[in-house]
Amino acid sequence: MNMYLHELKSLRKSTIIWVCAMIAIALMYLSLYPAIYRDGAHFKDMLAGYPASIRAILGVTVDSVTSLLGFYAMILAFVVLCGGIQAMNLGMSILSKETRERTADFLLVKPVSRAAVVTAKILAALTMFLITDLIYYAVASAIAFMVRQSSYSGGLFFMINFTLLFIQFIFFAIGAVVSVFFDRLRSVLPVSLGTVFGCYIIGALIAAGKDDWARFISPFRYFDYSYIVQNSRYETPYLITGAVIVVVSIVTCYFVYVRKDIHAVS
Amino acid sequence: MNIVLRELKANARALVIWSVCMFLCVISGMYKFTAYTSATATGPSINDLLKTMPTSIKALFGFASFDMATMSGYLALLFIYVELVAAIHAALLGAGIIAKEESDKTTEYLMVKPVSRTAIITSKLVAALLNVIVINVVTLVSFLVVVPLYSKGGNASGEILTMILSMFIVQLIFLSLGTVLAAYMRNPKASGSVATGILVTAYFVARITDMSDKLRFLNLISPFKYFDLGRIVAGHGLNLGIVLLSLALVAAFTALTYIFYQKRDLNI
Amino acid sequence: MSVIEIKNLTKYYGKARGVIDVSIDVEQGEIFGFIGPNGAGKSTTIRTLLGLIYPTSGSAKIFGKSCTTNPEVRQEVGYLPSEVFYYDGMRVIDLLRYSASFYRKDCTKRINELAEIMDLDLKRRIDDLSFGNKKKVGIVQGLIHGPKLIILDEPTTGLDPLMQQTFFDLIASENKKGATVFLSSHILREVQKMCERVALIKDGRIIKLERMSALQENNFKRIKVEGLSDLDKTIFDMPGVSKLENGGKTASFLYRGDINNVIRKLAQTEVSNLSIDEPDLEEVFMHYYSKDG
Repeated sequence: MNMYLHELKSLRKSTIIWVCAMIAIALMYLSLYPAIYRDGAHFKDMLAGYPASIRAILGVTVDSVTSLLGFYAMILAFVVLCGGIQAMNLGMSILSKETRERTADFLLVKPVSRAAVVTAKILAALTMFLITDLIYYAVASAIAFMVRQSSYSGGLFFMINFTLLFIQFIFFAIGAVVSVFFDRLRSVLPVSLGTVFGCYIIGALIAAGKDDWARFISPFRYFDYSYIVQNSRYETPYLITGAVIVVVSIVTCYFVYVRKDIHAVS
Repeated sequence: MNIVLRELKANARALVIWSVCMFLCVISGMYKFTAYTSATATGPSINDLLKTMPTSIKALFGFASFDMATMSGYLALLFIYVELVAAIHAALLGAGIIAKEESDKTTEYLMVKPVSRTAIITSKLVAALLNVIVINVVTLVSFLVVVPLYSKGGNASGEILTMILSMFIVQLIFLSLGTVLAAYMRNPKASGSVATGILVTAYFVARITDMSDKLRFLNLISPFKYFDLGRIVAGHGLNLGIVLLSLALVAAFTALTYIFYQKRDLNI
Repeated sequence: MSVIEIKNLTKYYGKARGVIDVSIDVEQGEIFGFIGPNGAGKSTTIRTLLGLIYPTSGSAKIFGKSCTTNPEVRQEVGYLPSEVFYYDGMRVIDLLRYSASFYRKDCTKRINELAEIMDLDLKRRIDDLSFGNKKKVGIVQGLIHGPKLIILDEPTTGLDPLMQQTFFDLIASENKKGATVFLSSHILREVQKMCERVALIKDGRIIKLERMSALQENNFKRIKVEGLSDLDKTIFDMPGVSKLENGGKTASFLYRGDINNVIRKLAQTEVSNLSIDEPDLEEVFMHYYSKDG
C-alpha cells in the first residue's frame, strides 16, 4: 500500500498535464463542430443537382462524418494518440526508473518481494489511467452535450470513449515489457514516441482498410469507430488480440523482473 | 573536433534506427498508393464534386487539399507523416545532445577540459546537424528510389526535392527548439518531453487548421504548416520569404542556446 | 545459528567474473570486516546477499533464509550502499517516512534521534544536499528500524573525519545493542578498528578469513635492523622474509615464521639497533595483494 501511494504521488503531476492536454484537444476540435455541421448541411444541399446514386452514397457518408458521434470519433483518434504516448511512456518508465534513477538499491532491499513492487507499480499506473479517462470522459461529455446539433446516443458515446482506456492498457503493457528487457536505456522517450507514432502512422497509412490484416499491427486500429457506432459493439478478434497482448506482457513482466539482476551503480 | 566525433559516435546507433524507420515509412506508405488511386479516381464527376466540397468536410474525409489520384498529391499526404517522424527525431536529438552531459552526470568530466562552453555547443550542433542531414539524405534517396516503382509515368522528383527541402527546414526549427529548451530549462532531463509536447501540439494545430479557414492564424505556431504542401504539389516551389523567416527563427533559437548555456549553472 | 551464511557462492556476469566460490559465515553479534581492492567482488557478494542479484551457483542466506525467496527477512536488515541516490523532489523527512513505512515498527522516535546524532536537517530537499549529506541520509535510512543485521558497503566515503567518528560510534552502539555488522571496505583503518573477524577478497576469491587478532599477531612481524657497518644482504636470504628494504646500514622487512630463526641469523652480525613490531593491517594487506598477484 505504501508503495502504491508513493507511486500515485509521483505520477500526480504528469497525469494532470496529460488530462489537460487531452481535454484541450477535445475542446479545440469540438468547438469547431457547429460550423462543420453547417458546412455539411450546405454541401448536401449542393448535392441536389447530382444523380440520385451519388447523392445517396455521398449523402450518407457526409451525414455520418458530420454527426456528433462520427465527428467525435475522428477527434478521439487524436486523444487516443495522446493517451497512447502517456501510457507507453509510463509503462516504460515505471519499473525502469528505479534502475535509471539509481534508487533500486533503496527500494529493493526493503522487506517486500519484487512481485509486490511490480504489483504496486502496475496498480498505480492503472489507477492513473482510470482517473485520467474518467476526468476526460466527464469533460468531453459536457462539451459534446453543449455543441450537439441533434440528439445522440450517450451509450455509444461511452463505448467510443471506453476504447481510450483499452488502448492505454495495451501500450502500457507493451512499454512495461519492453522496459524489463532493456533496462539500460538512458532515455525512454525516443523508444516510446517511436513505437506509438509508428503504430499511429501504420494505422493511418497502411491499415486504412476495414478488414486489413495490418490492423492487427497497430493497436490504434483495433477499434473501428464506424463499426462501433453501427453495431453498438466492439470487434471481437481485435478485442481478444488486445487482451492477449496485455496479459502476456504483464505476465512476462513479472516473470522477468522477479528474476533479473539489479546491477550496481556504475 | 573530438567532441563532434564523440557525439557522432554516441548517436550513431540511434541514427541508423531512425534512418531505417524513415525508409520503412516511405516504402510502406507507397505500398498503399495503388489502393488510394483506384479508390479516388472513379471518374471526373467525383473529382469535380470534391472541388466543391467545403475544406472542413474534405478534411474529415482525410483528403485535405490534394488531388489524391496523382502521385504528387498522394506524396503530399504521405509526406505529412514522414515530416512528423523527422521532426520528432530532430526535437529529441536537439534536446538530448545538450542535456545528456547533465543527465548522464558527465558534466564535470567535460567541463574541466580546456574547451569553452561555446566550443562545446558548436561541436554538438555540428554533430546534430550532420545527423539531420543524414536523415534527410536517407529520406530523399528512399523517395527517389521507391516512387518510380509505383509511378505510372510522370516524374515527381522536383516535388520530392522541394518537400524534402521544406522538411529539412522544419527539422532545423525543431532541432534548435530542442537545444534552446535543454539549455534553458533547470531540469534538462525534461527538455525532451517539453520539446515533443510542443511538437505534438504543433501537429494537432496543423490538423485542426485543416478544418476551418477561420483558424488559419494558428498556423503561425505550427511549423508543419509553414510550407504549403498544396503549393509544392502545384509545382510552385517554396515561398522564399517564409524560408528566410524560418531560418531566422532557427538562427534566433541557436543564438539563445549559446546565450543560455553560457549563463547556465550546470547540475552536477 | 549464523546471521550470514554464504556457501560456495559463484557469480558470473555473462563471462565476466563476479565472485568465485565464496564462503563466509558471520556469527550473531560480531562485527565482520570484508576487505579487498576495487573490483574484487565485495559489492557482488553484498548484492547477492541482499537479493539484488541472483547467484550463478551456491547460496547466500540471512538468518537462514534467502532474500529472494523470503523477502521478509529484510525486515531485520539495514543496508547502506556505497553511493546513495534517492527519488527526485523529496524532502529528507519524506524519504525517511517512506522508508519507515516498509517496516512493522513505529520509527518516528528513532528518526529524530538519528537525525540529531548525524546532524541532519530533515526539512531539506534531498536534491539540494551535498554528497556527504546524502550519505548521512543513507545512514539514518538504514538504521531507523533498529535492524539486527547492518550491512555497510564503503560507508565512510564522503563523510568528514568527525562524522566518520560519529558514525563508527553509532555502529558500535548498535552492535552493543545486539546488532551484527557486516562492513565492506578498502580502508583498512576502519576495519582494523572495528572488526573482530575479517575476510580478504581478491579477484573474486576469498584468500583469507581470520580473526583480526590472529591476522595481526601470529603471522607477521615488522622487523627493523640497524647494523654497525653495512649489512650483508645474504643474511636476509631466508624463508619467510618479504618486503625487504635494504639501505646500507639499515634494513626493514616483514617476517613470517618462527621468530627464533631470525634472531639466530641476526646474531651472526653486529647489530646497533633492532625493533620487532606488530605490522599494521595495511602491511599484511599489501603483502596478500602484491604477492601471488
